[in-house]
Amino acid sequence: MIAGNEIYGLMAEFDSDRDILLAARRAQEAGYTRMDACTPHPVEGLADAVGYRKTRVPVIALSGGAIGGAIALLLLYWINVITYPINVGGRPMASWPAFIPPTFELTVLCASLAALFGMLALNRLPQPYHPVFNVPEFERATQDRFFLVIEASDPRFDVEQTRRFLESLNPLGVYDVEP
Amino acid sequence: MSDQQPQEANVPHEEVRSITEEESARRMPGRPPLILPGYTYRSLTEQISSIVLGRTPLGWWAGAFFLFLIVMIFLYAVGYLFYTGVGIWGVNIPIAWGFAIVDFVWWIGIGHAGTLISAILLLMYQSWRTSINRIAEAMTLFAISQAAMFPILHLGRPWLFYWLIPYPSTMNVWPQFRSSLTWDVFAITTYFIVSLIFWYMGALPDFGTMRDRAKRRIPQVLFGIVALGWRGSIKHWRNYQMAYLIIAALATPLVVSVHSVVSLDFTISIVPGWHSTIFPPYFVAGALLSGFAMVLTLVIPIRSFYRLHGLITDRYIENMARWMLVTALVVDYSYATELFMSWYSGDVFEEYMSITRMFGAYWWVWWSVMMCNVVVPQALWFRGVRRNVMAVFFVAMFINVGMWIERFMIIVVSLSRDFLPSSWEQYAGTVWDWATFIGTLGVFAWLMFLFVRLVPMISMSESKELLSEQELTAGTHA
Amino acid sequence: MIEDVYRVPERVRRVQWTALVVGLVALAICVVYGFLFDHAQFFRSYLLAYVYWLAVSLGCLGMLMLQHLSGGVWGSAIRRLFEAGAATLVLMLLLAVPVALGLDELYTWARPGPSAHPEWLDHVRPYLNVNFVLIRMAGYFVLWIGLAYLLNRWSGALDGSGDPRYSWRMTRISGPGAALCVMSALFFSTDMVMSLEPEWYSTIFGFVFVTDALLEGMALSVAAFALLSESGPLSEVISPLYFLDYGKILLGIIVFWSYVGFSQLLIIWIGNLPHEVVWYVHRSSGGWMWVAMAMLIFMFFLPLLVLLSRSFKRSRRALATLCGLILLMELVRVFWYVEPSFHTDGFYLHWMDVVAPIGIGGVWISAFCWWLRRRPVLPLYLVPRRHPRSVEEIESRIGVAENAER
Repeated sequence: MIAGNEIYGLMAEFDSDRDILLAARRAQEAGYTRMDACTPHPVEGLADAVGYRKTRVPVIALSGGAIGGAIALLLLYWINVITYPINVGGRPMASWPAFIPPTFELTVLCASLAALFGMLALNRLPQPYHPVFNVPEFERATQDRFFLVIEASDPRFDVEQTRRFLESLNPLGVYDVEP
Repeated sequence: MSDQQPQEANVPHEEVRSITEEESARRMPGRPPLILPGYTYRSLTEQISSIVLGRTPLGWWAGAFFLFLIVMIFLYAVGYLFYTGVGIWGVNIPIAWGFAIVDFVWWIGIGHAGTLISAILLLMYQSWRTSINRIAEAMTLFAISQAAMFPILHLGRPWLFYWLIPYPSTMNVWPQFRSSLTWDVFAITTYFIVSLIFWYMGALPDFGTMRDRAKRRIPQVLFGIVALGWRGSIKHWRNYQMAYLIIAALATPLVVSVHSVVSLDFTISIVPGWHSTIFPPYFVAGALLSGFAMVLTLVIPIRSFYRLHGLITDRYIENMARWMLVTALVVDYSYATELFMSWYSGDVFEEYMSITRMFGAYWWVWWSVMMCNVVVPQALWFRGVRRNVMAVFFVAMFINVGMWIERFMIIVVSLSRDFLPSSWEQYAGTVWDWATFIGTLGVFAWLMFLFVRLVPMISMSESKELLSEQELTAGTHA
Repeated sequence: MIEDVYRVPERVRRVQWTALVVGLVALAICVVYGFLFDHAQFFRSYLLAYVYWLAVSLGCLGMLMLQHLSGGVWGSAIRRLFEAGAATLVLMLLLAVPVALGLDELYTWARPGPSAHPEWLDHVRPYLNVNFVLIRMAGYFVLWIGLAYLLNRWSGALDGSGDPRYSWRMTRISGPGAALCVMSALFFSTDMVMSLEPEWYSTIFGFVFVTDALLEGMALSVAAFALLSESGPLSEVISPLYFLDYGKILLGIIVFWSYVGFSQLLIIWIGNLPHEVVWYVHRSSGGWMWVAMAMLIFMFFLPLLVLLSRSFKRSRRALATLCGLILLMELVRVFWYVEPSFHTDGFYLHWMDVVAPIGIGGVWISAFCWWLRRRPVLPLYLVPRRHPRSVEEIESRIGVAENAER
């Protein structure tokens, strides 16, 4: 038997989204705080059950969009009014209606890029190695099985107790996750 | 339906939703579910991923080889163009915009339905996007690629296309932004990048599935790279779903803006037949119409070749047919408005443009457009037609052709008859125009072949979510 | 009895009578003043008030058909308010009489004698002449009232019988009905608004008018629904989540509204053709520019910003206030469409421009309330029988979508 400080955590395998939702809620009630659930599709309410509520992606995207839009407008103004003013059909140098389309496009572009890279950064992706991949059964996490992982760093973690707790949840199996 | 009388007064939000779903089921009897019963997570994953991981069917090789020949035609036509110059095309003053711009607008229009299906339907909780969104998005990417080539090929000196981008050049020359051609650069680049992000993000969880299902080393490594270490953690899902929704919310106005900017290429000039304020929404509707038609053109054969009838059910086809009808009606409304306003304006040039479209040298163009985009789509009012896959395919083919001819009508007829009779001219595409156009059809179809072979073409993670929801509703109704 | 539970509160009755009295008094003041002192101004003010309130009715009819077509819970819950708004079209037919009487005061094409645009007037005479315009108006009203009548009737019949054929019929008629209404709105807006400015034309104007109407109809219905469901049995049934949906729909319409408005401005501004740009010159010279700026700020930037917030959309009070602002700004917008045609040199506001909308509005609201009181506010066939899902689940699902917009 491996000691608590030599493993990453314990993993339980479930068959359906309802089972894992129930299991995660029970684990939360049992006082576990450092856990994760890996599922083939997003499960409503599961993020709350493993104690993960807030996401900062909207703020990141909003700031990305605001910065992109501001830069675009300033850039257009600077190009067409300050550094390279030419008369086109007698229209004013600062042709605000004409500046709107490119400004809009750049706002959307920057906000989308911010959302993508913000999401990747918050998820710490790309991440080629992660301990959960050491469990052979885990390859079905992206296919048809649902996994609950309780990490060894959890203050309430104890190999034997936690294993017994996970087994009480009627899983298909409980596995050690090597670090 | 006998117990219509309500029993209780407390009605949370979702309660009424389920009742309206029932009501809609009653209104539209015999609607098939989005995923046919009998699918499990396992069988669904297997069916979709085996198309990529399994053996290549012979039909695929045959089709890909044939298309490769057309790709060669394209490369030859473009090579000769670079060698000789745009003189090989039929364009000349006054008709300086010919096939190249017609093809450009046609392709970029096709590129609209993909992101629209994905983004708007996601925001509206319409689950019938699930099985077709990836195909539609891939179609978008490939169609934009075809479209973006044409303005560059048309430049005369295509290697200098980067002059359109604002950068500090040694000559201290900058683009000027009172021209819609510079807006186009921003619009199309943004649209391509955002569509790519949207498509890739949608496929990210499935790349993880493919990595885990692949048995051979090379697919394992390649899918491992593009999956970025995705492990389906619920924390990942939370940020992922949020980012996906944000990009959908951004992509929706973006789709509208892109074809509006394309329409501004015409409207900001004062050429009769081009300078019309309805052009932005009219072009957007036309783009969506041709996009839906192209999605159907692709999905119906793919579905029957790979036997995906259980996942892409007839309900998808019917829904897309309905959208095709709606967008066709907006386009028809725009034709009518243009016609009426050209008379109402009392402007001789506008009036003449309408008459010459109908009865002038290009009369057949206008009448073909009316046939393809006005008369034929009206068949979709009938449920019998919408539920007949062959009939829908037939209508879609008409629209594919009709929308190309419509762009020809707008671009060529207006240029051929401008203000001065001394500058009236006729135009016809040369063999090189046709070779380039047919070549892009080949490139597009060839890329679709590669996509179908290399990437799971139906979103597995979303299908599972849908399956889980279907089970849930089935459970509560039982 | 459940039917009584979902009836509108008793205070609506007071609103109905107060509005009627205020409306009639305001109308009477305008009529008397106009008859005695200023014919022309009376008809102008009356026209803008009439176009504004007719657009509200048409917007309700349009939203009614749209929700039948799209399905979904948001529309089913608020359906009765759209139905009541559409039913006021009968009243609007009656109120059209003064407009018909004042055509020659309002429109150059209806005025005999010399004008500044003789060629154009001769050209459009077959279309723009008093008889044909009146025939067309009759045609529009046959279509609109017919649709409003059928949709109201079948919805009521569904309440009584629960026969699914009625909901099927309502969906069936809404498709062609919506298409015909959009078409009729194009010609109506051309006849009544566009032709105020001779020689000016814009092909997108039909869309602009339709969007204005939808925004008005939606804003009024949402405001009324928010006030009605604030207390009493409806407040238990209609959770804030409904208003989340309404907020999103309002946001969508506002974004589309700005899109069509900006498209028209950009194309006309950059083309700079004299017969087109005149419309914007008249509407931006003198003080009119400030009116345009006010619309930009209060009808686009402000609603856009606040509607991105989830908590704002969930709050009935906040949403009702915003709807009030939108309705006010839409009135300013119609004022900006109509009045600059007569005062091209600078800003001009007559007191009747304020009193006439109050007059028609009072009568309109009174008719609206009267129709609302006749039936349960929540369609009875929607009141459900079971609880398939937990509220938390829905909350979390909607929360995801909601945060995405921020």
